[in-house]
Amino acid sequence: MFDLVILTQILWTGIATASPFVLLTAGFALTLKVTGLWNFAQAGLMAIAFYTMFFALNALGLPVVAAVALGAAVTATAALVIEAYGLQVLRNRHSGNLTFFIFTLILSEFVIYVLTLAFGTEPQTLFKSILSPVSIIGDIAVSDWDKLAVAMAATGLALLWGFMHGTREGKFLTAVADNAPLAELYGISAIRAYRVTAVIAALFIVAAMYLIGSHGGIVPNTPLELVLTAVIATLLGGIGRVFAAAAAAVFLALIQSFSILFIDSRWQNLLLYGFLFAAILLFPRGVRLIAIRR
Amino acid sequence: MDYLVTLGVLISIFVILSTSYNLVIGYGGLSTVAHPIFFAIGAYTAGLLSIHTTIPPPVNVLIGAAAAMVASVLLAASSLRVSGDYLLIASLGFQLGLLQLIKNLDFTGGPGGLGAIPGTFTGPLRAPIYLAIAGGLAILTVLAIRGIVRGPYGRAITAMRDEELAFTALGRNAMSLKIVIFAIGCGFAGIAGGVYAYYFQYISPDQFEVLQSAAILTMVVLGGMGTVYGPVVGAVLLLAIPQAITFLNLPSSVMAPMQGILFTLLVLLFLFLRPAGILGGSAKVRL
Amino acid sequence: MTAVLRISKLNKRFGGIVVADNIDLTIASGEVLGLIGPNGAGKTSLFNLISGVLRPDSGGIYLNDVSIVGQPLFRRARLGVARTWQHMLLFRSMSVLDNLMIAPRHYAGESILRVAFARGAVRAAESAARQRAESILLRMGLTDTLHLMVTDLPFGQQKLIGLARALMNDGPLLLLDEPMAGVEGAAYETMQRVVRQEAETGRAVCVVEHNVSFIRDLCSRAIFMANGKILQDGSVEELIASASLTELYFGV
Repeated sequence: MFDLVILTQILWTGIATASPFVLLTAGFALTLKVTGLWNFAQAGLMAIAFYTMFFALNALGLPVVAAVALGAAVTATAALVIEAYGLQVLRNRHSGNLTFFIFTLILSEFVIYVLTLAFGTEPQTLFKSILSPVSIIGDIAVSDWDKLAVAMAATGLALLWGFMHGTREGKFLTAVADNAPLAELYGISAIRAYRVTAVIAALFIVAAMYLIGSHGGIVPNTPLELVLTAVIATLLGGIGRVFAAAAAAVFLALIQSFSILFIDSRWQNLLLYGFLFAAILLFPRGVRLIAIRR
Repeated sequence: MDYLVTLGVLISIFVILSTSYNLVIGYGGLSTVAHPIFFAIGAYTAGLLSIHTTIPPPVNVLIGAAAAMVASVLLAASSLRVSGDYLLIASLGFQLGLLQLIKNLDFTGGPGGLGAIPGTFTGPLRAPIYLAIAGGLAILTVLAIRGIVRGPYGRAITAMRDEELAFTALGRNAMSLKIVIFAIGCGFAGIAGGVYAYYFQYISPDQFEVLQSAAILTMVVLGGMGTVYGPVVGAVLLLAIPQAITFLNLPSSVMAPMQGILFTLLVLLFLFLRPAGILGGSAKVRL
Repeated sequence: MTAVLRISKLNKRFGGIVVADNIDLTIASGEVLGLIGPNGAGKTSLFNLISGVLRPDSGGIYLNDVSIVGQPLFRRARLGVARTWQHMLLFRSMSVLDNLMIAPRHYAGESILRVAFARGAVRAAESAARQRAESILLRMGLTDTLHLMVTDLPFGQQKLIGLARALMNDGPLLLLDEPMAGVEGAAYETMQRVVRQEAETGRAVCVVEHNVSFIRDLCSRAIFMANGKILQDGSVEELIASASLTELYFGV
């Protein structure tokens, strides 16, 4: 009954579909790690990223590379503006967590309402067709989109890992994440770290939205759901553990994919939230597979 | 005329919601956004009991409130053990998870909602009677919360919000205080839910989503967090203004997002320029 | 003289830093014990261990021979451990009166059920607390500040209110964390006088201070701490005279 080919197909497609979520989760978890903030404004950034690229490709008729570059520029700029003129102002005022939450959530909603006014509520895709050329590799159907998705996620994670462990700028992020006041004493600028993080998250978001937007329809409200999956994966991975969160995103997607074999498709979303409940009640500090002694 | 009465009922229900939410976040200082889910628990409990049993409506509403309180205690007790900040995400997860459950179960009516909730009163006086009931409950709620936050209990709440460590070191049980405040707030939300279910006779999961959280939050922030009457002002504004805008006769595809833009913009402006809200005079509430 | 506080082999470390190293200590009723030592010696950590902010890794803490080491922070206050804080931690949104009214060992307004259904008992308790608050302020000469916001008071008076708040707890033990820091003149005299009065009524008092003349005037006995250890326990004069301690303290 469980054909190896079918299992492998589900595994591959699951990993490919998970890839944009891995990118979104990585950006979200990194932001949480460095700034200590559950940044729901990233939903607004996701919407900005998608609709900028959509507008560039369809209304302006730009080639793909230019459209993506424009999307990256606009999203990164928006992220920096939010960070410098929104979040930093609240930080200077020693605002509480609830204030940050209100700001980031309401800001995302504002952005989404504006985009609803501009683009309507019809589902949109980046390209006219979401079909992608498929090749058969060893009995498994592999589409070009699949390959691009996995490549982008893998490259993104690898670059992030290299950046954080191999460059000074990246190590500063970890220093600020661990203890911002102490890092400041050593001459590391926390504000700079926050801005670098904002740009990295923005780039990951653009990459993810390109993938999601070329694979299925997006409505202005979609980013709110997307950011929620990032929240769940981050919770499961453990606050402060970016790559564990990315792994959790893959894990969640695979669980959902494989569950088709066992349960009704309508329960799939419930499974996701079942994990969320479990994470909240049983693993508030994240699932620790390897005990790290620091 | 009937439309104005319905608006009055709606405003009363949201006064209960915003005032009780303000108790939790404005006075109690607890970070949570899940107020709509306790509204939902009250609504669904009362609705389901009225469909399947012969228990009288007021009792159903009370049972709904009790169910909301029990759920809130479970949520708060498990999340506050981790940290106060954790409650924020935990409450969001709880809200979404429970809504997902409601959407997937058959007996709750699924994503289509729960309809045909039995009527209570018939005839032309139905709406005004409900206005009296809802309005009366709203007034009671405001008075109750005012009573809680003044006097010795309110002193404890303020002290806890100011300096929790010193508060605890004086011999006060901060954890228990937070859980009780949360339970009281959510209990009132449950009552509002019961009334809502009985009046409209139809409830569905998307009435209790994150957008609803944002709406109640907007009422509290605009009206003035940490003041007793601020949320009342916020509720009236947030419900009355869109009604006023409908008279502009814009197409609905423009109107809905325009209302959204108006309110989110107002919240953002207030957050940065006047965090104490419309009624909040001094910057006593550290936002 | 009975031992109000007894600490036995108390240990606490944070990673590589030892804040309490096999501490043995007793404080008797009516005694004012000075706790001196360089910064980072573990003095405030000791207070945090006694009051319950920190849990020790091992060892015992006894209040009037009853073990309190397993009790959470809020319960220790109810058992009679009162303390002040280096950074005062007064309740900023409230008046002097409210800061004191929230501070007795047992607070009637803590239970919503009692507030709602036992109004008479709550009123009585509030009235008693108010009387206690007024008498403490009278002793300090601060009766006029009763209805002022604590944030409107000058620094020295704020510190006195911090002490007053701790004194609302009528328990046997009083821990004062740098009560004199930044205080001079009339407030200094008042602080000294009130602390001495408390000791005379039988309270066991422990004071962390850098102000040596305060310690000398007030304390009969003092201990010197460094690196989480008690290095010397004796009369204040002995400690001050000790050359090795001076070296540790001042680095000379």
